[in-house]
Amino acid sequence: MSSNKFWKLLGALGAVFALPWLFLIVIPFLKMSNAEPVPYSEEDGVEGIAAYPDKTLQRHGASDYGRQIYAAEGCAYCHTQVVRPTYAGPDMWRPGWGGREEDGLARETQPGDYATEKVAMLGYQRIGQDLSNVGHRITSRDLMHQHLVEPKSLDPNSGMPAYKHLYKKSSIGSGYVPTGKAEALVDYLMSLKKDQKIPGAIVSGS
Amino acid sequence: MSERAAIDRSARFPVLFFFTSAAAWLLVATLLGFFSSLKLSVPGLWDNCQFLGYGRLFPAHMNALVYGWAMQAGLGVVLWLMARLSRNKIEHPVAIIVAGALWNAGVTLSVITVWFGFGNSMPLLDFPAWVWPILAISYALIVVWILPMFRQRGESLIYVSEMFVLGAVVWFPWIFITANLLINKGTAPVMAAGTNAWFITNLSYFWMAPIALAIAYYIVPKISGRAVFSYPLAQVSFWLLAALAGWTGFARYMGGPFPAWMSAVSSTASIFILLAIIVTVVNILMTLKGATKIWEFSPSLRFTVFGMLMLAAYGLLSAISSTYFFGKNLQFSHFVVGLDTLAFYGFFSMTVFGAIYFIVPRITGSEWPSGKRIRTHFWFSAYGIITLIICMLVGGIAQGGNLAQWDQAFSTSFVTSSAYVAGRCIAWALIAFSNLMFLYQLALMFVGKGRKSSGPTLIHAEPGKVESAKAAAGLN
Repeated sequence: MSSNKFWKLLGALGAVFALPWLFLIVIPFLKMSNAEPVPYSEEDGVEGIAAYPDKTLQRHGASDYGRQIYAAEGCAYCHTQVVRPTYAGPDMWRPGWGGREEDGLARETQPGDYATEKVAMLGYQRIGQDLSNVGHRITSRDLMHQHLVEPKSLDPNSGMPAYKHLYKKSSIGSGYVPTGKAEALVDYLMSLKKDQKIPGAIVSGS
Repeated sequence: MSERAAIDRSARFPVLFFFTSAAAWLLVATLLGFFSSLKLSVPGLWDNCQFLGYGRLFPAHMNALVYGWAMQAGLGVVLWLMARLSRNKIEHPVAIIVAGALWNAGVTLSVITVWFGFGNSMPLLDFPAWVWPILAISYALIVVWILPMFRQRGESLIYVSEMFVLGAVVWFPWIFITANLLINKGTAPVMAAGTNAWFITNLSYFWMAPIALAIAYYIVPKISGRAVFSYPLAQVSFWLLAALAGWTGFARYMGGPFPAWMSAVSSTASIFILLAIIVTVVNILMTLKGATKIWEFSPSLRFTVFGMLMLAAYGLLSAISSTYFFGKNLQFSHFVVGLDTLAFYGFFSMTVFGAIYFIVPRITGSEWPSGKRIRTHFWFSAYGIITLIICMLVGGIAQGGNLAQWDQAFSTSFVTSSAYVAGRCIAWALIAFSNLMFLYQLALMFVGKGRKSSGPTLIHAEPGKVESAKAAAGLN
């Protein structure tokens, strides 16, 4: 086969794929990684100068370590962190999923909500609850720990396995003592609050 | 020795190396699939053991299935097909085997790291950042011997199988490196997750589908002794697939935190790809028109045809689930697992089994020991995968329906779908048994314990009675 024809075919194979690669992946990627923080205006009635994406808020320390534990245990295989608009699913109707409804702050998730994480844990399946705003739903650390040690004690029908290997058996009584990993994971879970007010947004009920 | 036999002999060790190590990984993957499903249906099981959590077993299962089995079996097929079609001997078998061993080391690391809790929850890309270069480099060291074979081919006519093989070989590293770079080095968290979804569907369309189709376009005409029904149709479907597949993926996050056009484009692409798939599957089936009885006897053809039907089912189900109407209930449900398994096991593996049953006797110079065991392999695999897909499809609809009922307790969706997860568990047990059968036969061939005979092993015919089987099938 002539060398010319070989390169032509290879070029054609490359060209047809280069198009979606460029427009669906590379360009959106570059745009999203260079997003600027959006300032609040007076109408928003929010103190502070900028909303997300604010890279200075990048997770570090316990909170990012917690995200790593979350990822390593494969939490994202059963838990999503996506609240879809109603045209794509009734997520907003589930109590607490969209955020603090009572304060008029519930909303769908936006790209900036994940700006502080290295990788967005959007999730593969939804076998368990959506965790976008779990930090607002479970506000007590003890309850969060209890959920990780004995999920069925909170909901007998729960399909969540226990994560006892993140805890040590207490030497007194029958309780469990969290390890550093468990504390970091709880730190991360408590920090999951994706209902920050968006600059210029029209919020329902306002 | 004829030219063809010389080519087959040169392919013997590298191709057998890939097939046997792939089959071993497949057994590991099916067992992990079984235990992960078991854990999901009985969540309280093995509560104290960190290595038996679903969140670790399931990704380990996916990694073993894709990188251990699908990539290696695909590479074996690609090597042999390229050698045969370009009429070139494989010049450096030792170099290929060494690179293959490196690939296996990479796969082992990708399974072990995830299993031991160093994963990052990105399906199929969840190994630590230092693992993927091992896979990428060993892949490059393998295919660097494939491209020159194609370039030095004698004929000017390019077979459609060659185009599919060439496409798969070129596209896979592209998507693999892109996705890994964006996830590990990127600074756009949302795009990392989106690229992950894009990688999974692209893996199906740019590795699994082209290799399955390359096999079908080679084996079906070869065994039936007929020309491909329509060569232009085959080419059209190839370019349709090539042009559309890269746009898919984001339909997995409909309503997700992406610009809305991205999932809309992906949905559209998934629906149009159905056209390419239907065209090509019909083209292959039409080649067999009037000679369908052969597939009762020929193991290769039976597996390949079944694989093609599964490919059509995959195209249809992914098109359906990419529409908002169905997708809003199906996305994030068990249906996703069903769809991915349909790609990795349903159409890809079944077609590749067809190829392996065709290739191994030619490169080893002996026939499969038992037609009965091939039949067992086929039926257990076929029943297994169909059970799995139906369970995940119906279970996904049930689960998605419950999720949509926002005023019910969330756990209702888990309770409703748990029976279907038990079905998935049974399905993996069936598939694991069938693969034990397959690995056993392949191991016999590997150590030279195949049947020495001039006639091929057929499914229903006694060894040596090939002629009567052929007559019954309307051949001769």
